[in-house]
Amino acid sequence: MAHMAHTDSPAADDRAEARLLAEIAAGGEHAFVELYRRRHNDVYRFAFAMAKSRSFAQDVTQEVFLNVLENASRFDSAKGSVRAWLFGCARYVTLDRLRLERRWTDELPDEGAAVGGDERLLADQRVERLHAAIARLPVEYREALVLCELQELSYAETAAVLGCPLGTVRSRLHRGRALLVAMLDEGERAAADSGPRVATPLQAGEVCS
Amino acid sequence: MSNTQVGDRLETELAQLRAALRDVQAPPPDEIALRAQFRDAARLRAQSTPVAAGGKVAWRLHFAAAAVVVLAVGAVFAAVLLRVERPEIVPLAVEAPRAASPAVSAFQPLLNSPGLSPSSSYSVVRVRIPLSAFALVPGTEQGGTIEADLLVGEDGLARAIRFDGADALVVSVAGQ
Repeated sequence: MAHMAHTDSPAADDRAEARLLAEIAAGGEHAFVELYRRRHNDVYRFAFAMAKSRSFAQDVTQEVFLNVLENASRFDSAKGSVRAWLFGCARYVTLDRLRLERRWTDELPDEGAAVGGDERLLADQRVERLHAAIARLPVEYREALVLCELQELSYAETAAVLGCPLGTVRSRLHRGRALLVAMLDEGERAAADSGPRVATPLQAGEVCS
Repeated sequence: MSNTQVGDRLETELAQLRAALRDVQAPPPDEIALRAQFRDAARLRAQSTPVAAGGKVAWRLHFAAAAVVVLAVGAVFAAVLLRVERPEIVPLAVEAPRAASPAVSAFQPLLNSPGLSPSSSYSVVRVRIPLSAFALVPGTEQGGTIEADLLVGEDGLARAIRFDGADALVVSVAGQ
């Protein structure tokens, strides 16, 4: 099978990727490699945004595509795009792993490991702090924020991925943003109190109790 | 800082984080490893299919065996309960034949029993029956028992009965 490039049309991409999934379900090895090429970064970024850890994101990506091998035949294009379906898989794998690792909200993500080779990209201290705060949000707000704000899914797509009504997505986003503001303010106050040289990340559980 | 300013600042920082994340790249795919992964998964699927089917058959066999065991246990329980539900009849023991006393009656076939066959073997079980069991005998509610021999077939069902001391029963009835 020839390598399929992304097109400018999301609808055409959806159709092409739905075909890839159908081929995977029928045992198409090339289709699997092709879908991985096209979408592994999306899955990786979602997991990285959720947990702020590269190794975590890598493990999630691996597991999601193993699930694709098992469940490709279950994809229903009437329910949404392949991209949204993959985010749904990534969400389940991420939540499972977070639960296993007890990283819901009570543990500070490993920022050193998270930044890694992309220091230049995430060097801005406030952006870095924002990501750390997102990674400590209660998971229901975190996943809504990551999908809508960082992965740029529409509210409807996010609702489909999360399996909840549109209004719930909106309220979670609203509450998540409010929590983020409070966390960032607290972090700044703590930094100011402890002197100018300290740019401390927030302590776990400061806001999200 | 006003709420609007705070909101604006958060939006700005979220946009910056979004842009930064857009540049985050997963490690490049290792095509050889991916294909190996695909083949492993396909092989596992192929292996697991007959196993799963076998598993279903085995599960059904286990279920059938369990059902048979439950039915057998139920049948044994029912048999025991049917015997126990005759509280007035207290089996004493299987005794060796005793010298017949003059008052011992002949074996009388029980109603609804399959009947006696000369080619079958039977056991004699001695029981003591309260006289009150004989509802038609007036005056037996005060107590008293009578011993009897039950002729029991190999299937555990009583076929015939004889009374030991039947004359006492006759006397008792006659005395009313």
